[in-house]
Parts: sequence; structure tokens; C-alpha cells
Amino acid sequence: MAFSVPYLGHGVGLRTQHFPRLWQGTARVDWFEAIAENFMVRGGRPLAALEKARETAPLVLHGVSLSLGSTDPLNLTYLDDLNALIRRCEPAWVSDHLCWGSVGGHYAHDLLPLPYTEEALVHVSERVRAVQEYLGRQILIENVSSYLTFSHSTVPEWEFLAAIAERADCGILLDVNNVYVSAANHGFAAEHYITGVPAGRVGQIHLAGHADMGTYLFDTHDGPVAAPVWDLYRLAVRRCGRVSTLVEWDDKIPEFDILRAEAERAGEIAAAELELPCAKSA
Amino acid sequence: MLSLRELQADFLREIARTSGGENAGFAPRLAQVVEGRGKLEPEQRINIYAQMYHTRLLEVLREDFPRVAAVVGCERFIAVVRAYLARHPSTHPSLRHLGRHFAAFLATRPEIAPFPFLSDLARLEWARVEVFDAPDAEPLRLAHLQALSADEWPDLRLHLIPAFQVVHSNWPVQEIWAAEGTPDGTRRENTAVRVWRDGFAVYHARADATEQVALAAVRAGESFATVCAALASVVPAEEAASVMGSLLLRWIEDGLLRENKT
Repeated sequence: MAFSVPYLGHGVGLRTQHFPRLWQGTARVDWFEAIAENFMVRGGRPLAALEKARETAPLVLHGVSLSLGSTDPLNLTYLDDLNALIRRCEPAWVSDHLCWGSVGGHYAHDLLPLPYTEEALVHVSERVRAVQEYLGRQILIENVSSYLTFSHSTVPEWEFLAAIAERADCGILLDVNNVYVSAANHGFAAEHYITGVPAGRVGQIHLAGHADMGTYLFDTHDGPVAAPVWDLYRLAVRRCGRVSTLVEWDDKIPEFDILRAEAERAGEIAAAELELPCAKSA
Repeated sequence: MLSLRELQADFLREIARTSGGENAGFAPRLAQVVEGRGKLEPEQRINIYAQMYHTRLLEVLREDFPRVAAVVGCERFIAVVRAYLARHPSTHPSLRHLGRHFAAFLATRPEIAPFPFLSDLARLEWARVEVFDAPDAEPLRLAHLQALSADEWPDLRLHLIPAFQVVHSNWPVQEIWAAEGTPDGTRRENTAVRVWRDGFAVYHARADATEQVALAAVRAGESFATVCAALASVVPAEEAASVMGSLLLRWIEDGLLRENKT
């Protein structure tokens, strides 16, 4: 069993505020990540923007509602919509989260934490396998930031994530900011997490900003990447090698050029760690 | 020990039931399985999720219904949204559908009695949401009609774009919308507002009685001759064709009609 995805460079999330740049032809970046649910519509500006982005640079779909850890049956209507979107925009890969977000048909629209137990391990790996079979492709699953853990968890999150990836034969989207936030909120060493996931399965890295709320860190995606998260990224790059990296910035969204500069900074840091000639975004 | 199913059911029920706070009173069965190490107690940790749940969904509805939110004011909007979410929790993976029952729900709420037009205003705002990402269509060009011979006109069937809706109300709902939260001296008035998308932009405009008759006939799939005949019930018969011609020009200019590809 193996996992590999193409290396795309350093990209940014496709956000409504930057749609005009697509039509101006000035949204140049290595690649885009589109939130799948935002484009599961029948027409209008969102789908036109997706087409434009696809013409501009490689595209990846990132879901937030697959609810992989839910004990509800898989939502096949959602999967059909996702499949239709995949056919439409031919993403380089598709990802979602290691979490749950719905139960009893009720959606929380949040990335809720799982207990890391054998029961959850069996359940989630089977779900990931079923999704991959339905979509006819491997997916990447992302670690989420969390604000609580469950006392009946039997393994740390990174071991759980590694085990799911092996059992389901899927890829990992390693969110370095989420590792940092969760480490601070739960008192574990972020470095253990980075070194605990199977490097060969990490197909993408996420970077983002967070906020210090005094008693906990909050995953806000509303600012630049924090210095300690850059340090953690350096470690991740040393361990995983060249991995497509994306900067998420979903609130207080800045001008496109500021966002692109943050992605370029990731590229420069990765190149320095790997002692590669620095390749700027196109 | 809670099963995964029981844990998820408890968790979602608890965060949806309360927006949190110091005395949120989360179910002990849930709080007992949450670790309390570090600076936060289990209840405070659950509370973060409760606050995120309500904040996120409130913001979505505020974005979809900005005029309704402005009319009722911040506190009342929060209260009515809380009641709405309790009655109509999201059952769709996309937040795009969260507000689909909101207008009907408002019509049942006693606390919005001072704003009897509010449900209709919500219907107009929801129509704009629906039209925004409705299917695309090739707009009908004037040249297409100009190329028709005289004997083709009576059987011509016009087709409205998918991104088109009509909102009927007992209030001048388009004026209330335009007032942006401070409607002035609202009085009852039977109104029809057509809502459509031209390119990427969403528009709405009041349709007068004549236009309503013509639109209804077109939507029913009637021929051009039958549409004109229907118009003759509201305008002098000899003027029906020219009135229809004016309407047709306006509809094409607005992008309301599509090519018939079937």
C-alpha cells in the first residue's frame, strides 16, 4: 500500500474576496485549494470562479462536511455532489478532516473531536475506505485543532492518525498550525506529533494563523502564520521533504498579494530547509 | 463507557442546546469523559464548541438575511435565530441551506408581531440567496426574436431563466428592503417582486399587475398569442400586443429570458 500525490508548490485558499483577481488574470499562485462545499452549487459566480481558478493554476478540493468520524451512515447525496464537482474541476487531490460534524442527521458545521479509541479507529478507517471506494480515489485526511480531549482515549492523536492512514491506505494533510494549537491546548509536545506521523503519507501541509485567548489557543485563520508555527513547519519539511503547502486565511482576509507573499514565504523556508534553490511562485 | 454513537449524540445535543456561559450545565455524562487538565475545566472546553456552533450559524443567517437582522435589531435577531436553530437544526452538509425554513418560521413567532412584514422580507432575501447560485442559462438575444417571421410569433414560447423567482407579498416588500432596516410607515399593499440574476449580479424589481399577468402566462408555458390574450384581461385588447412588446424588450434587457435549447 502506498500513497503519493504530485508536488504543486505553495498555494493559497480560493476565497470570494479574491475572485476579481481571477478575472483580471492577476491571481498568480502555484495552486489553489477550494472548499468543496462552497462550490457544490448549480451555477452563478462561484462555479464561474472555480473554472477561472482551474484555468489559472492546479486546483485541489478540500471538504469540511464529509464527517468521516460520524456514526451516521455516509451521506451518499453529499458524495454524489462531491463526485460531480470532482468531474467538473479535476482536482489534483481531495481532502477532508479527521473528525465528525454530524449525528442523527443534524450538522454542526464544525470539526468536532473524536475519542482516540479502538472503536473509533475501526469505525473511521472503514469509513475512509468506503469513501475512497465510492470516489474511486485515495483521499487525504487532516488533523483538526481541538479544545478538548476525551478521557477514554487510549493513544495520542498522532498515533491514531497514523493508524487510520495505514489501515485505510489514505494520505495525510498535516496541518502544522492545528498541531501547534492542539499541543498548547492539551499539553503535549508538538514536535512529537510532527515526528509521529508517517512522513511518506503526508501529501499536503496546511499553515494558518491562530489567536491566544489567554487560557487556550484558538484556530482563527485570521492572520499571518505565527513564528513557532514556522519553526514547526521547518521540522515538518525536514522530516517529510518537498510537500505541497497551503496557507489558509479565512477571516479578515487580506489583499491577494499579502496572502501570496505568505505562501511564498513558506516556499522560501522550505527551500532553505531542503537546501534547494528558492523557487518563487510564478 | 459511552459508545462513539452515544458520545456524538450527547455532544451535539449539548452544544446545540446551550450557547454556553459559566453555568451552561452540560450533561454530567458528557462532562465526565472530557479531560480537565490544564487551564480549562471540562465544561469550559465543551463551552468553546457551544459558542462556535451558535456564532457560526448566527453569522450565516445574518449574512443571508441582513435586512431582517437590521429591522429586528441585534438582540431580538439572536433570540429568534436561537429559537429557529432549535426548531430547524441544519440537516444539510452545506450551510447554504441553513435558512431555507427561516421565512416560514418567522411567520409563526409572536415576538416579531411588531414587524408583520418580516416573514415576507425574509422570503425576498431568501429568493435572492437562491437566485445567486441557481443554474446558468444562455440569455435570449433580441436578434433571435428579430429574426422570427410574422407567422412564427403566435406560437412562440418564451422561457424564463432558472435564476428567476417571483415573491408575492401583502406588503411593499421591495420598499422595506430598500429602507435597510428602517422601513417608514409600512402599510399593506399587494405586491409582486421579481428576483433574478443577470451575469453574477442579483436584482429585484416590483412587477405591476400587467407584468404579473404576462409572467404568469409565460411561466405556465403559454404561447405568445395566449400571453397576449391573457394581457387583454388587464389592458385594452388593442393595446395588448404593444404592451407585451414593451415587456419583452425590458425582460431581454434585464436578462430574464433564456434561449430554448430543448
